[in-house]
Amino acid sequence: MRRNPFLYGLQKLLLFLASMLLLSVTVFYAARLAPGDPLVAYYGERAEKLTPEERTQAEERLGLYDPLHTQYLRWLSNALRGDFGMSYKYKTDVLDIIGKRLNNTLLLGGTGFVLIFALSPVLGILCARFEDRPLDRLLCRAGALSSCIPEFWLSLALILIFSVWLRLLPSSGAYAVGKARDWGDRLIHLLLPLTVVVLSHLWYYAYMIRNKLLEEIRANYVLLAKAKGLNRRQILLRHCLRNILPPYFSMMAIAVPHILGGTYVTETVFSYPGLGALSYESARCQDTYLLMALCLFSGGAVMLCGMLAQAVNERLDPRIRPGGGMEVDHFG
Amino acid sequence: MDERFVLVGPRPEEAPPEPSIRILPEIPVISWIVLAVLLLGCLCPVLPKDPAYMDLAHTSLPPGKAFWFGTDAMGRDIFSMIWYGGRISLFIGFAAAGISALTGILFGAVSGLAPRWLDTLLMRLTEILLSIPGLLLVLLLQGMLGKPNVIRLSIVIGATSWTGIAKVVRTEVLRLRESGFAAAARCMGGGFFHILRWHLAPNLLPSILFMVVMNLRSAILTESTLSFLGLGLPLEVISWGSMLSLAEKALLSGAWWMILIPGGFLTAALLSVTSIGNGLRRWLNREQSNL
Repeated sequence: MRRNPFLYGLQKLLLFLASMLLLSVTVFYAARLAPGDPLVAYYGERAEKLTPEERTQAEERLGLYDPLHTQYLRWLSNALRGDFGMSYKYKTDVLDIIGKRLNNTLLLGGTGFVLIFALSPVLGILCARFEDRPLDRLLCRAGALSSCIPEFWLSLALILIFSVWLRLLPSSGAYAVGKARDWGDRLIHLLLPLTVVVLSHLWYYAYMIRNKLLEEIRANYVLLAKAKGLNRRQILLRHCLRNILPPYFSMMAIAVPHILGGTYVTETVFSYPGLGALSYESARCQDTYLLMALCLFSGGAVMLCGMLAQAVNERLDPRIRPGGGMEVDHFG
Repeated sequence: MDERFVLVGPRPEEAPPEPSIRILPEIPVISWIVLAVLLLGCLCPVLPKDPAYMDLAHTSLPPGKAFWFGTDAMGRDIFSMIWYGGRISLFIGFAAAGISALTGILFGAVSGLAPRWLDTLLMRLTEILLSIPGLLLVLLLQGMLGKPNVIRLSIVIGATSWTGIAKVVRTEVLRLRESGFAAAARCMGGGFFHILRWHLAPNLLPSILFMVVMNLRSAILTESTLSFLGLGLPLEVISWGSMLSLAEKALLSGAWWMILIPGGFLTAALLSVTSIGNGLRRWLNREQSNL
């Protein structure tokens, strides 16, 4: 039973599109049925003072009078042509706003993601190699503590120590005024939020790797490798690590919303101008189209990562493939 | 004669370490004590001072003899607020964990026992739910339910954290429904809820108990995060999170006791719940493997 790569891709694509469609419907109705007034987002405080006639006019202009499904379909047909609507609050195209903030979030989330996934295998392997020795115990204790401290409180404590008491690091923003292009300045502003993002997620993944490795080193092939004369380091790195790679990649995919969600809180506490702070703001003040675009963006990223992880897993471990286990594929 | 032969295979002293067998399961004693102290303290009806009373003559005092943990910017006694607020934080934690466990078990069981197409649909739905960052989901739900109070907040947190349990329950149900006893029960005319209650639930319990404890932890965490951001409980309803919502102002004045003390209690509670959960998992797994 050989599967057709084209059909397989098509199936995945359709699934992805259907999920996105469902997601957009859900967010649209949830945002619109929630009590609150989109006009407040548009006019701010002035919305209270509008006369009834002005109100009607404004609602008509924004298309709020049509039934909800007409509004949704209008948004959908525009979105298919690449126009995701206008933000009520900023009065510009939502993609522009997202584009401006995306860099900051990618910098924070991306650096955090890379650091977490570079450091967690190191910690996991160290713990597994020295299982139940002092080093392992120390790391486990410290890790459990670090993963239990709430992100927002860790941020506050770090601000208190490094910004208020020691006056070493800035407490908010992504760069000092007028220094948007200065990378050194950006790095200094990134330091505290990045510490929070990494510290609060690192142990979760390192601990998973540790436990998977501990299961792995009790398997029989380790005995064989040992009989062959390999030393511990070779067995751990060459054999055990390779076996835990597929779950590791799925973990990376699950980590995307996890770390993304983490940057939301951190961004808000540090007033870091990223997507997290933006979503929080748009959900609070009924900025429907901005919220939809943000949800679609993060949801899409998460789903894509999930599919990517699955594809990589299938390459690494032929047994997962839908075609069945016995098939041998000729890949490099 | 013996020297001619080379020993092939692992030597006895180099055998891979056996999983260390302890007679007593590891019980995280310290965590249980911490949790017990916290629970007793929070349930204790006698507080040294009225936590809601605003003593305007003594605002923002550092810890001292009269006010053990100091006072906040509104002159409330932090020591009393800690115990009173813990009551609400822990209540929301337990309520939300209960709601999420019930929803997760029902959803997972329905999905596992349903026909293939319904199962696929339901699992897609949970995946979509998982793809929205948790904080946004809470915001959306809260917008629909209206102004947050203790009960509404528990419902919102519970309703957004059941997906993990649902997935595990579904996998277990798929495994269990192949088993003979489920088929036998159905042959004898057992209904859906009968099978769920008497045949599936006892088998599911070990695998989800750990997740429920972890949900308790994340519910406490979510409540404090939301209240801190000003999205959860209002300032006059005292919880560990809402005590911290004044923290930004405290940062400016350098009032460390308003930040570090409630946060310390919060972290202690989270840490003890986590290690109890981990201990529980180890203990349950040990039993399973011995059977």
